[in-house]
Amino acid sequence: MNQISNINNTFESYQKLISFYQINKDKQFEDIHISITSWFAANMCSAFGGLLDILSSHLNNIKLDYISPSIEKILQKNDFLSYFDREKIADNYHTTIRYLKLKPTDGKYFNSYVINELLGRNELPRMSDLVKEKMAETIYEIFVNAQIHSESNFIYTCGQFYPNENKIEFTITDIGIGFKNKVNRRFNTNLSSTQAIKWATQDKNTTKIDISGGIGLALLKEFIAKNHGKMQIVSDDGYYEFSANGEQTGLFNGQFPGTIVNLQFRTDDNSSYILKKEINNNDIF
Amino acid sequence: MEKINISVVNVVGDIFCTEAADGQKVFELIDKALKENKAVNLSFVNVKMLTTAFLNTAVGQLYKDYSEERIKSSLTVEQLTPSGSVSLKRVVDTAKLYYKNPGAMEQSINEILGE
Repeated sequence: MNQISNINNTFESYQKLISFYQINKDKQFEDIHISITSWFAANMCSAFGGLLDILSSHLNNIKLDYISPSIEKILQKNDFLSYFDREKIADNYHTTIRYLKLKPTDGKYFNSYVINELLGRNELPRMSDLVKEKMAETIYEIFVNAQIHSESNFIYTCGQFYPNENKIEFTITDIGIGFKNKVNRRFNTNLSSTQAIKWATQDKNTTKIDISGGIGLALLKEFIAKNHGKMQIVSDDGYYEFSANGEQTGLFNGQFPGTIVNLQFRTDDNSSYILKKEINNNDIF
Repeated sequence: MEKINISVVNVVGDIFCTEAADGQKVFELIDKALKENKAVNLSFVNVKMLTTAFLNTAVGQLYKDYSEERIKSSLTVEQLTPSGSVSLKRVVDTAKLYYKNPGAMEQSINEILGE
């Protein structure tokens, strides 16, 4: 039995998911028994769903034998358990941001998802429209990065609104080639996973050939710093975290088979700082 | 110089202009017009969401084949949101540097290896 417990948005929690994957990744035609107890941060359904999909693709049966009732309720509300034959239940408190599994070509579905789950929500009263829009824009940058770079068959997104803590956690996961392989393949180098992530988050750095780029992650970092939020990237065995306190990196024991980007936004941010930097359209080119 | 109006929403078929592939469609139209010595007005009327990935392909890659002077004299934009203007300015500044120094990516890789 695989016991998954106390899953938060911490280095240790990502390590637990990676360890779960490492134990089961070589199984084929087996029953994989799982129990989920204590705490499971709902946005982590994004990463967990990606891992379970890989195990299912090896024709294993995923058996969610026990889920503690309070967690089960949340995972039914956010649609995650609908993918595992359990009924969906209504989210009367509107704190979940639905679990969604998308093909990289399904950009249009992602549009309505962003409107319904983020921009159109009136439970975020303290967030100015501009900050809400900026938050959606940064989420898009990450989604589009996964579309362009990950070479993943699916992209998994999920979030959770924590009204008492004034924050939203939103996670986008792919099960593609990861930062390290992408960068090293492009430049014929041997960067470690954390070096590759750090390089990719720096302004203007891109693996694209003949087209400039590398702005999305840099813009995201700038917004996160102003919003006092947090960004975490897990890719291969690398961990990277950015917040107003600066950068932190770490190495996992074992690899995550793709990339997780977790974003934490403060919802008590009603600033209008972007307008201070208004640009005259005649000065753009 | 005759000015052609390109409605971004119409070209993309959506008010969400986020994907690089959609940016490519806009780029191809601008490129075609510039090749015919026409000026272009890029209209962002009704655009709800823009990403830099879209703008890199739509506008950024023009700097590969056209000079800054040519682009400045031939391309105008209208109805960009303040946030969209900031993103486009960033895309344009990055593209100018990128095409001037094709070895910059390799240099930055060496820098991170040297850290």
